[in-house]
Order: sequence, then structure tokens, then C-alpha cells
Amino acid sequence: MTYLRVALVSIVAISLQLTVFVDVRVFGVAPELLALVAILGGYFGGSQTGPVVGFAAGLLWDVYLPTHLGVSAMIFAVTAYIIGTLEAGLFHDSRGQVGTVVVVATMAIVVSYAFLNEILGVRGLINVEMLRVAAVSGVMNGVLSFVAAPAMKWAMAPTSARRGARVPVSRA
Amino acid sequence: MPPAQRAGRSRYRLALLVLTSITLLSLDFRSFGPLESAQSGVRDLLHPVTSIVDTGLSPIGDAWNAAFSYGDLETENQDLRRQIDEMTGHAIAVEANSAAFERLQRAVDIRFGEGIPTAVATVLRGEVGNFDTNVVTISKGSNSGIREGMAVVTGAGLVGRVSRADRTTSTVELVTDPSLIIGVRVVSTDEVGLGHGLAGEPSRFVIDQGPGWPEGGDPALLPRIGSAVVTATDSRYSAEIPIGTVVDVATPDGLAMVVTVELSNDVTDLGFVSVMLDIAPDEVPLLPVVPSTLVPIEIDPAQLDSAAGGGSTP
Repeated sequence: MTYLRVALVSIVAISLQLTVFVDVRVFGVAPELLALVAILGGYFGGSQTGPVVGFAAGLLWDVYLPTHLGVSAMIFAVTAYIIGTLEAGLFHDSRGQVGTVVVVATMAIVVSYAFLNEILGVRGLINVEMLRVAAVSGVMNGVLSFVAAPAMKWAMAPTSARRGARVPVSRA
Repeated sequence: MPPAQRAGRSRYRLALLVLTSITLLSLDFRSFGPLESAQSGVRDLLHPVTSIVDTGLSPIGDAWNAAFSYGDLETENQDLRRQIDEMTGHAIAVEANSAAFERLQRAVDIRFGEGIPTAVATVLRGEVGNFDTNVVTISKGSNSGIREGMAVVTGAGLVGRVSRADRTTSTVELVTDPSLIIGVRVVSTDEVGLGHGLAGEPSRFVIDQGPGWPEGGDPALLPRIGSAVVTATDSRYSAEIPIGTVVDVATPDGLAMVVTVELSNDVTDLGFVSVMLDIAPDEVPLLPVVPSTLVPIEIDPAQLDSAAGGGSTP
């Protein structure tokens, strides 16, 4: 059931990315909504569920990108794992902290995406423009996390917790 | 589950996911057919959803553009008015020229895409990610006969090539993409070469493989500024599709010629395009490289034989 809800959130994210955020760009940069799903998947799902959510979100994004299939999937899965691992000991479930984690992780994802594609032969991604894209999309994702975090928290909540049992939501 | 066991399981799961990604990457590099079909299937499956969302939320994008692109629109409007004035002034001359051109075309049987069926499509969206700045998605796909590699044009000339054809939509790699190599011909000198777009310059195209710098840099032998550039006969696409006009000719090393072209199409503002439904070859048919066997006239072949160990030529 959790994965169905995550699939629903991912479909909403990809639909918004392919429609609204083709036009709505800040300094020519769009937010990275599927990366946001992966980051929040790691944050709320921990190191076990998070990477699977990240992998699936990355794979969905790869289907639409002109670069090779599997690049985003790998980066999103690894990022979600790192966040999930750190989350267990370091993070507290506050809005400010979620936003900060999202900004930093999005920037790391954008830079990793450019580097991995460059290694795979896609030229022209590593430049000053890359840093600008990383910074702007990171900030946009950070702002959007205030809306996306409750949605992902709902999607990642165990079914038993939704039925009223006292199971911690963010420490899966 | 103990934390150590949980951590081990997480690492194992991550390793599996990374291995799966690497497998997908290697299959994608080999253009594995079933994988491409699966991707196409996912895009087709989600197309109705994105269409509905697009219809419902398009006012948001329109409002955003209206709010933040008003200055650009005003400038563009002024430019268009100026162009209309200029075009009105030239209308009579153009009419006379086009009549002459039609007669010439009939006389020498020159054809520009004549007889090739086309599919007219709407441009649905531009780039979706932050790094894929040279692609657009159009509203027709393999159901309309569109296949990968077909040329996409407008009345102004070449727009790009179909890089991905789903059932109801297609992705077009634009002529501005630096990685899209196109065989072209400079009309004024009749020289052919290979060209590509320039990163960050959506109106420019550069021909940097093929044409050689004339001995002594004789200006009479250089491509004329303003000369037309079209697709070459040996290119992936139909011949004589307009690319643009020459704006600069330079030589970085005194040997090769670099021709900069102003593209005839404004690919940043496309509404409708036509896909030429002809089968294109997969690769540019480059001529095979044959090592030169000519011996300079001042060298005695006998000297070469002795230098090579005294062996005799059979």
C-alpha cells in the first residue's frame, strides 16, 4: 500500500514537472520534483525503503530525459540511502531541517548527474551553468518541500500507523 | 530487527539497486530494443495523464509567462513590426524572384522535399529537465508514421531530427544540439562539410569539418557572407533543406575552414513543425579514409626501398 501511495505521488510529480514546470522556471531553471520525491523518500523511509523509492523515482525521470536510462535511478537511490542512514541518528523531524536537507541533497544530485553523464560521454554539462542550475533548483526544491513533505509523509506512513496504531512515522 | 542486521540489509539492497542501474545503463548503451519499447510504453501510458494535467494547469504557466516575460514580448512585438515593414517593401521583388525561381526549378528539376509525405505536428513542450535544452516534444508519433531519424522542418528550414518516436508523441533533437552532426553544403562554393550547433547559442551553427582553407586565403574562393547553407546530398536527410546563411568565415589554424551560420529557424519559439516521412540512413555515409600512396616527385623510390631494409617491391 505504501508503494502505491508513493507511485501516486510520483505520478503527480512527473505530471507537474512535464507540464507546469516547463513554463514556470526561475532564471530558466525548473525544480527537480522527482529528486524531491527521492530525497523525502530517504528522509521519511529510512535507509531500507528510501533507496527503493529513490530508484523508482529516478527511473521514471530517466524515461523522459534524453540521457541514458539508469543515471538518475542510481544517483537518486544512493542519495536516498545516504539521507536515510544519516536520518536515523542526526535529523529531527522539523520543517526547517527538512528544507535544509532538501536544498543540499538537490544540489548534490544535480552536480552528480552532470558528472556521471560527463563520464558517460555527454559533453558540456560541467560548467558554471551547472552550479547555477544546482543552486536555483536546490532552493526551489527547498521551498516546494513545505508542500511535498506532508504528501511524502502520508505516502511513506506504514498502513498500521494510518489505521491508528502508535507507530513512529518518520523512523521506519 | 537489530540495527546492525538492518544496516547490512540496507547496504545489500542498495548494492542490488546500483547493479540494476548499471545493467540498465549498459543495455541502454546497446540500444536494447525491449528496453526502449518499455520506456516508450511508460510514456504512452502516462501521456493521457500529463495531457489532462496540462489542460487543467496551463493557465498557471501562461500567467507565469505573462508576469515574467512581458518585457521580452514587447521587444519581440517591436521586432516583428519592423520585420513586417521591411517585408512589405520587398514583397514585389520577392514575388518576381519566386516566379523566376519556380521557372528555374521546373527547368532543372530541382526538388526540395517534393514527393515526400509530411506529418504536421504541434510542439507540445520544450525541455523538461535542466540540462536537455535542445529537445522538444511534438504531438505525433509512430501512429502517424513517424520513425526515429526522420527530418523535422518548418517552412524556414531544418528544425532537427526525431530522436525518439512513441505512439502518440515524439521527441525531436534540435539542430542547435552540439552533438547532432549534419552533412551540409555551402551553396556559393558548393563545398560540403559537417556541422553542428553551438552550446549556449541557439541561433548559430558551425561547419568545422570538411571545407579546407583555400591556398593563400583567396577571398574569391571563400564562402560568401550571406550565402545559403543547405543539407548535403549525402546527409542523413533529404538534400537541399535550408539550414541558414553564412555570417562568418575563419580559419583557426590556416588549414581548416570554420564557417559560422545564422540558423534560418528560430528553434526557441516553435509552434508547428512538419516531419518528413522518408526513411533516413542511420549514419552519415562518410567516404572511407584511404591512405595516400603518392610519393613526392623529388624522392627516388629506390631510396625508400633501401631505407626500408633493401627489400624489393613485388
